[in-house]
Amino acid sequence: MKKILIAVVTFSLLTACGSNNEEKDNSNVQETQKEQVVNVYTHRHYEPDQDIFKMFEEQTGIKVKVINASADELIQKMKMEGKQSPADVLITVDAGRLSRAKDQGLLQSIQSEILEKTVPSHLQDVDNQWFGLTKRARIIAYSLDRVKPEELSTYEELVSNKWKGKILVRSSSNIYNQSLMASIIANDGEEIAKKWAKGIVANMARSPKGSDRDQVKAVVAGEGDLAIVNSYYIGKMLNSPDAEEVATAKKIGLFFPNQEGRGTHINVSGAGVAKYAPNKENAIRFIEFLVSQDAQQIFTDANYEYPILESVAPTNDIKAWGDFKEDTLGLNKLGENNKKAVLIFDEAGWK
Amino acid sequence: MLAIHSLSKSFDKGKNYALENVTFDLKEGDVCAIVGESGSGKTTLVRLIAGLERPDHGSIALDGNIIASLDKFVQPEKRKIGLVFQEYALFPHLTILENVLYGISKLKNKKIRAQEMLDLVGLSEMGKRYPHQLSGGQQQRVALARALAPEPTLLILDEPFSNLDAMLRMQLRNEIFDIIKKTGVTVLFVTHDTQDALSVADEILILQNGKVVQKDAAANLYVKPNTLYVASLFGNTIQINKNLQTAFRCPLKEDCCHAIRNEKIKVNPTAVDSDCEYITNATVIKKIVLGDSIQLLLKLETGEQLTVMTQDKNVADTITIGFNSKDILEFND
Amino acid sequence: MKQAGSNRETFSLKSRLKRFKRDSNRWSVFTLAIVIFLALPIIFIGVELFSGPGETWSHIVKYLLPEYIWNSLYLVLFCSILVLVLGVSSAWFVSRFNFPMRKQLEWLLILPLAIPSYIVGYAYAGIFDYGGSLDLIFRQLNLDFIRIDIMNRAGLAFVLSISLFPYVYVSARAFFLNQANNLLEASKMLGVGERKTFFKLMLPLARPAIVAGLVLVLMEVLNDYGAAKYYGVNTFTTGIFRSWFSLEEPETAVYLSALLIIIIFALILFEKWQVRKIKFTSSKSNSTQIQRKTTTKSLKWLIFLVVFLPVLLGFILPVLQLIYWATLTASTVFDVQFLLISLQSFGIAITSAIITVFFALLLIFFSKWSALRFIKNVSRVGVLGYAIPGAVIAIGIMIPTLALDKWLINVLANFGIDSGFIINGTLIALFYAYAVRFLAVAYNPIDSTALKVDNSIPDSSKVLGVGNLKTFFKIEFPLIKTGVFSAVILVFIDVMKELPLTLILKPYHIDTLAVKAYEYASDEMVMEAAIPSLFIIFTAMIPVIFLNKLLIKK
Repeated sequence: MKKILIAVVTFSLLTACGSNNEEKDNSNVQETQKEQVVNVYTHRHYEPDQDIFKMFEEQTGIKVKVINASADELIQKMKMEGKQSPADVLITVDAGRLSRAKDQGLLQSIQSEILEKTVPSHLQDVDNQWFGLTKRARIIAYSLDRVKPEELSTYEELVSNKWKGKILVRSSSNIYNQSLMASIIANDGEEIAKKWAKGIVANMARSPKGSDRDQVKAVVAGEGDLAIVNSYYIGKMLNSPDAEEVATAKKIGLFFPNQEGRGTHINVSGAGVAKYAPNKENAIRFIEFLVSQDAQQIFTDANYEYPILESVAPTNDIKAWGDFKEDTLGLNKLGENNKKAVLIFDEAGWK
Repeated sequence: MLAIHSLSKSFDKGKNYALENVTFDLKEGDVCAIVGESGSGKTTLVRLIAGLERPDHGSIALDGNIIASLDKFVQPEKRKIGLVFQEYALFPHLTILENVLYGISKLKNKKIRAQEMLDLVGLSEMGKRYPHQLSGGQQQRVALARALAPEPTLLILDEPFSNLDAMLRMQLRNEIFDIIKKTGVTVLFVTHDTQDALSVADEILILQNGKVVQKDAAANLYVKPNTLYVASLFGNTIQINKNLQTAFRCPLKEDCCHAIRNEKIKVNPTAVDSDCEYITNATVIKKIVLGDSIQLLLKLETGEQLTVMTQDKNVADTITIGFNSKDILEFND
Repeated sequence: MKQAGSNRETFSLKSRLKRFKRDSNRWSVFTLAIVIFLALPIIFIGVELFSGPGETWSHIVKYLLPEYIWNSLYLVLFCSILVLVLGVSSAWFVSRFNFPMRKQLEWLLILPLAIPSYIVGYAYAGIFDYGGSLDLIFRQLNLDFIRIDIMNRAGLAFVLSISLFPYVYVSARAFFLNQANNLLEASKMLGVGERKTFFKLMLPLARPAIVAGLVLVLMEVLNDYGAAKYYGVNTFTTGIFRSWFSLEEPETAVYLSALLIIIIFALILFEKWQVRKIKFTSSKSNSTQIQRKTTTKSLKWLIFLVVFLPVLLGFILPVLQLIYWATLTASTVFDVQFLLISLQSFGIAITSAIITVFFALLLIFFSKWSALRFIKNVSRVGVLGYAIPGAVIAIGIMIPTLALDKWLINVLANFGIDSGFIINGTLIALFYAYAVRFLAVAYNPIDSTALKVDNSIPDSSKVLGVGNLKTFFKIEFPLIKTGVFSAVILVFIDVMKELPLTLILKPYHIDTLAVKAYEYASDEMVMEAAIPSLFIIFTAMIPVIFLNKLLIKK
């Protein structure tokens, strides 16, 4: 008993000292700035990103230090930290959060020819405060057995009576739904958006729950006919280690809505340089690296996202879905309308 | 050496007092017993003296120095008071010797002193054992050795024998007080048992509901109790109320309370006992044989019931009983 | 009495002040300082309340609050029932009857505590999913028209109950083992049957112990974020996140958490009140252990099944599902980096456990040494953190420590030192937050073992001329060390599982297994989350088994 206690205490003291040292190291690093670092606040917690960071470290000698959390939490954290925030780069998985960060004065405008050239104008901030890195489309997954693609047309059409009890979609707390709603507000106006939300709620096959993958499974399980999902999850399902998931993903068809009109709603995962970035130069280099050939290839190959760099071909799985027309709505609008979107969801009873 | 003045303690901000206006002194070398029922404030009193509680009013002085008052509080560890608890309170994870050594760790010859103490209480060989390996009586003796080792100016024993059975209790009581007398320490001995108090104490202090009712030499308490309560602590006592006064035809003063000890009431007083001034007839309702003597439950002509003791085994169903006026106890309240 | 006037005088303001001056010692000051330190996050959140809720407050009240209240009440009610049935029945059978594998089941029943409830939630979703384990089995049996949907309110209540019932089991069993024997024998002597003895005697007597466990369960239920979010059930806690992040109104989030805190305090008061009402449980523990009954063979197996079921549901099934996923994803997830994270997790958990226990000891003993009676009550304020959601505590910690950090940076800048944040984004803030959140977890076992040590023992030490500190090290600590040790283990497990607070406050380059598991799961890579989850479970399992040994020895 005594021995164990002593062992535990010694061990913990050791780890405590160890971690204290580490802290000192950290602050030393920040003090001297001799060692080149870039502090990244990111919502992207994808395994392939680690490889990209490693590549960046190897090529530039700049060390990448990462804090992973949801974009909302990161924004709150940066806000509270204020001028002393150690953050250099903020990466989110949707444009809405980036423009929110911009509105709250957390980002700064940067000059970068590479970014200006590579990132299409509708996928970057008008003031050059943030830039898209990868694209994902919010598309409709339908049951191959029960739905013919000809029956589908637009997001707006989903509220029609024929889809009563057929639509599967996740919770409104999900950022991709919020962005989709924000784009509808921007394109169609608030009144139509409200009606649309109510119409979708009325057509839901079940109360919203689970992830996008769960919506796809529910379609195959026959709970509903259509699921509103993010494109790259389908890519992931097709490459899942679980054979059952692969089989499930093969049982659905994909439809890109609004092809006749404004195009399918897309969102970006993007990055911006923090207003008070202590390592601004490194931050710019880092973001530039993220749109480089190598990084973009990994984004699409390992994470099934649409690359932003036109010279990089999408990975085979998503290439198979074909080209599509994307909504060129300035993504700033997503941030502007985000809060409105959440309020409309609540009013419509979209859980 | 111990002077307590107007000491009060309440645990509920003055609604009830565990101890109220207690004042008394103790002389060097005295053995004073504090007697009272449970809830009378005995334990609160010793905890205040030991410094384990703080007074709400009044003061405690030891050897002329104030150790507790409204302005001053000396920590228990600085008071040099020895305390033996009812539940022994030996440190269960230390050996007997370590227990005794505990309070004298700063002494130079502590080992010798501790062994002396164990010798004194007759547990010389037990030093290496742990408390749970000893009997209750042995544990209490260790507790005593531990308390005496630092040579306290005052030794307090808080109900030290109440966890022991009757036979052991008497034996241990005598043993322990023999040991204590050898050291000559001043002792405060808390008990609810008057036999304990009478057999070892020079002085007895009676507590009732947190107040001192009487403090006197042991012998005086029996002869001249201050209240009916004190009287009945030292033997069954009957209050002589109006009905009894009528039955015995003994007119007594109106403004005070009178009582008689049961043992002073004589059964069938003979001519020799003719000093029984007040007599009445009684019917025997029940006889209980208690070894040598017999307890009688009587009914008087006025309907009163009372019990008396007699040696006469062939007592009749109707008897006379009586008592002497000099045996009447008179109280002011 | 002669000095009848003195009574009034005794409690006059003047005497009170005098006594206050006499009785306030450094321990009182230290206790207050620690309480303030631990309550600081809560105080700051309380202060925020005065600035009023955000502009969407009325929107929330109109559209969301009824649902939050209704769902939370539903969960509280449903979980209470399920947890009581599972926890009390298994505790009673384990302590009262002999049946196959009783000894093993006795500690297996504690193991569900080792799995974070959101991970149980993921596992069950995986089991009942289309293409999930159960579905595959049904397909083999040609029963695939049956599909059970677990991702709803009832399913969430089930998942939370099945992973939290051990709190009730542990406290009920402790009561049955230590207190029940005399009463049981008395009841038998009176010729009362087994069933009646249980319902009329043991159950009412064990109520305070059971309710104490239940209150812990309900706090966890109300604080749950991960599972509720995944199952699409909106509760107060998901609402706090929604209004703070989606609606960008921390003020509104604070209002919601204040409401939640009120509900939780109501639960705590309920516990206190009902324990006060039932004061007849004897505090002295009985040395005689409960006698176990041997029954007929068929009954034996029936009891086995009843006791095995919660173990199966709360531990074996979810772990099997996780192991299955782990085999699918081992190659991608498992690497050196992952081992490093495991070590970091372990180190953080054990260090913060020791820090938290240290604070609990300070609080318990300083308030004891303080002669002011109100200090003891004040010290209880320090344990309120357990009732507050981790995310809220994180905000409460960031407000004051950021202010301090910014001040420090300015001060140091005057000396030409360019320092970064000294508290935020370092382990200091994280350990501080864990201490605030889990103090109650450490406080209770230490306090209850300390209460079992008769006051006369430390008193003897003091009367023998030994001061408070030395008495603590030489006498009290050796006597309460099982309690201290259980406290370390309990906090360790809780920190291993903790998520929302860690997410917000953790420093760069430090990851915990819980964070890793959450990252995978929140990115819809539930399968990849299996390996970190299993690591949490196994690191937490060892101390849980150890803890059980301690409890039995007691």
